[in-house]
Amino acid sequence: MCHVSVGHVQRAIESIGIPTVGVYVRSFGHIPELMGVARAVITRHPMGRPLGAPGDIERQRSVVRSALSLLASDRPVIEELPADWRPGPAPVS
Amino acid sequence: MTGPDDAAETIEELRRSFFYGSRSNLDVKFLKDLSDGEFGDFLQELLAAAAATIDHGDPSGVVDSLQRWQVQAYRGHLGDPADFPHRHDDTPLASLDRPLSEARIGLVTSSGHFVDGDDPEPLGVVDMTQAEAEERIGEFLREAPSLSAIPVDTPAERLRVRHGGYPVAAATRDHQVALPLGHLRSLAEEGEIGQVAETAYSFVGATSQVRLRRDVAPAWAERLRDDAVDAVLLVPV
Repeated sequence: MCHVSVGHVQRAIESIGIPTVGVYVRSFGHIPELMGVARAVITRHPMGRPLGAPGDIERQRSVVRSALSLLASDRPVIEELPADWRPGPAPVS
Repeated sequence: MTGPDDAAETIEELRRSFFYGSRSNLDVKFLKDLSDGEFGDFLQELLAAAAATIDHGDPSGVVDSLQRWQVQAYRGHLGDPADFPHRHDDTPLASLDRPLSEARIGLVTSSGHFVDGDDPEPLGVVDMTQAEAEERIGEFLREAPSLSAIPVDTPAERLRVRHGGYPVAAATRDHQVALPLGHLRSLAEEGEIGQVAETAYSFVGATSQVRLRRDVAPAWAERLRDDAVDAVLLVPV
């Protein structure tokens, strides 16, 4: 449901002339197209970790950069990122 | 424990018990959306992957299985796309009027983050716990959401997260799994983006869809315009 909520917000922002891009996880990868959001990347990540695992700075940053790179597009675009999920480092106790 | 007088638990009741029931676990709440047969297949696969770790210790098969069945469950949950109630056949489209390296970027997430001392106090509750947010998920789904403003330079130790709709353990350990404040700051410092808006926003996405779409989302969009952002990154969770 959260993905639908963000879909509404994304459409509202884009509707007043501000370009947007969303990061959606694969389990809800059908939402961007069904809701008509302008730009989206879809990650192969489980619910609750859309950008990457805790502590996986490299993956999180890579997803953010991939999403931002779509902002230049003047056409609707949905891009599935190919990287499989990978766990992060074990918690430091 | 099931006593002699209790009716045996059905497979469906077992599956549903993980969805805000007696065995609630938001990482596997998708079990509600599997058929009984699929649930059996999932268990068989998961247990085989778990048993294999006895010898090699590599849990990646367990992780793969959880991920694959989550995708399968939510795909099945969707039903016929033609019946999807939030379907839109149009796509609003705006253009970025400058290079990304000169653009001011805003951030909106549905992760349920807020700054310590600025609790949105959902349902009028002071210091609501994560457990209570999960127990009262039905009430969240009837209420309009509120937007938490998060200064982009907020230190990690001052961030809080509470959200009854998804497993928050990862976001609690590292907010950047969903709220990439530091990544945006460093991309601005390195010149890949022009700057980050001073305020990021987060809300609890488990909320009244009607009120969000009709009243709240347009008001939030105006707020971002007032922040003079050139583009917005959104992260649903």
